[in-house]
Amino acid sequence: MMMKREVAKRLFAFELNRSNHKISQNGEKTPIYVLTPTGEKCNRVFIVGVLLDKEEIRPDSNFWRMRVSDPTGVFVCTAGRYQPEALEVVLEIEPPEMVAIVGKVNVFEGESGTYISIRPEAVSIVESEARDYWVYETAQRTVERIERMETERDSEDIALAWQVYNPDLNEYRQKVREALIVIKEEFETFKVREEEKKEEVKEEKDADLELDELEFEEEEWDLSDILGE
Amino acid sequence: MKGELVEEKVEIISKLTEQITEKFKRSGYEVNPKEISKRLELLMFEFKVPEREAIRTVNNYLMKELDVSREQLSMESPFIKIGEITRPNQWVSFKAKIVQLWDSTSPNVSQVGLVGDETGIIKFVTWAKSGKPEVAEGKSYIFRNLVTDSFGGRMQVNVNRNSEIEEIAEDVPLPPREIKVTGALIAIQQNSGLIQRCNECRRTVSKGICPVHGKTESYDDLRIKGVLDDGENFYEIILNEDNIKALTGIGLEEAKKIAKENLERGVVLQTLRNRLLGKYFTVNGTRGERYLIVNEIDFFRDELGEKIDELLTRLGAEQ
Repeated sequence: MMMKREVAKRLFAFELNRSNHKISQNGEKTPIYVLTPTGEKCNRVFIVGVLLDKEEIRPDSNFWRMRVSDPTGVFVCTAGRYQPEALEVVLEIEPPEMVAIVGKVNVFEGESGTYISIRPEAVSIVESEARDYWVYETAQRTVERIERMETERDSEDIALAWQVYNPDLNEYRQKVREALIVIKEEFETFKVREEEKKEEVKEEKDADLELDELEFEEEEWDLSDILGE
Repeated sequence: MKGELVEEKVEIISKLTEQITEKFKRSGYEVNPKEISKRLELLMFEFKVPEREAIRTVNNYLMKELDVSREQLSMESPFIKIGEITRPNQWVSFKAKIVQLWDSTSPNVSQVGLVGDETGIIKFVTWAKSGKPEVAEGKSYIFRNLVTDSFGGRMQVNVNRNSEIEEIAEDVPLPPREIKVTGALIAIQQNSGLIQRCNECRRTVSKGICPVHGKTESYDDLRIKGVLDDGENFYEIILNEDNIKALTGIGLEEAKKIAKENLERGVVLQTLRNRLLGKYFTVNGTRGERYLIVNEIDFFRDELGEKIDELLTRLGAEQ
């Protein structure tokens, strides 16, 4: 039986990094989900952020660890030879760079706790526009989840999230607020910069004019004396 | 771990027992929960009978014991909206309209097609042995006691012996077929880019072989099969040459040139991935059974300023 495709969920690094509760159903090949503190059940995620660095986990292992930052924290992503499409891009990319990553959430249970990472299926370089919209979209989804945590306490995943994490929802609200303010400020400075750019362009045009005049004069000069002809 | 498992089993049994006891109680029959639990446990965990079968067996046993018929029990599954169907093996009832009927390809199936309400459209199958009356395209019905199922990765509902279909005068509205979605292009499938199609049937040809016509003459085409995802739903989309050219400036001629310069057709796919993957798009499209047929696609551009302020207000003041 073909499995139904999993939707790529949107959540901030702050929330994903606090998720450690795995949900697996009985049966072969059923997807593994990670329950997040605001009650999202995710298997696949989509993130946009800044690739801070990449390193090969062991020399020549072709297994790379990347750190990707959003306004709330850092996602850890690991790509290896089983993700050839993603790996191809990872090998060529030079951090820092704005990237979009879609991948599966992976929980590793180590001796000193659980580690959560993303196994990329696809990595691509994007512009800051995509990042801004991602932050907005992720903020919106997170707000919706926070509100559901308050109003739908009986729903299965939400009840479980309360039981497992007992989250301080105000902390999540605060993170969303901070993230939104980061891109909002960027917009505002961007707008100012655009205007400055326009000014500059105008000035450059003026300068060009002067340059033309100079060049003109230059042609008028008789250089034969200097060249000793 | 073992203890957990036992606990889990106990929980399942007690839940199912409660359901069955409830059902009989509603019809005015007292049954012994201990007896039910014992039978369920035996069937499900000793003999590994699937849950659904176990429940049915216990129900049948009780009905025989009490000498009541199915009708007297009024076993009605909960009413839901079609959009809420996400899991197989659930008993459901709903009010819906027949969108389309298909030709049945199997003697076991008396009718197959699509049924929908304002929240979604789903495939339905009426088993021949269910002995249910036929439904007609465009008419609305109340469907009771259907079972949800998953086939080929998609959900469907099956009409069985215990189902009821009742025609109603009301006209159930269907979801709009024309939709506008904004999402990230999170996948571009391998069979995208500069492809070859069979001259006879337009199917895609791989290594010169058409799945229907074998070794065949083919022509070049440019397309993208991709997935647009907005975090709540995903949409499988197909972009044709015009769509791709509008977005990237790369049309069929340009794609051929890229392939020729690099001596490799795959470079076209690579180029399209670099340009489009991970970015946000707005699509105006028509919902098909599987694909969202793209009428118009463009890079997403919007003023976020106001939206951000709205969201900040919704978040409330700092605490």
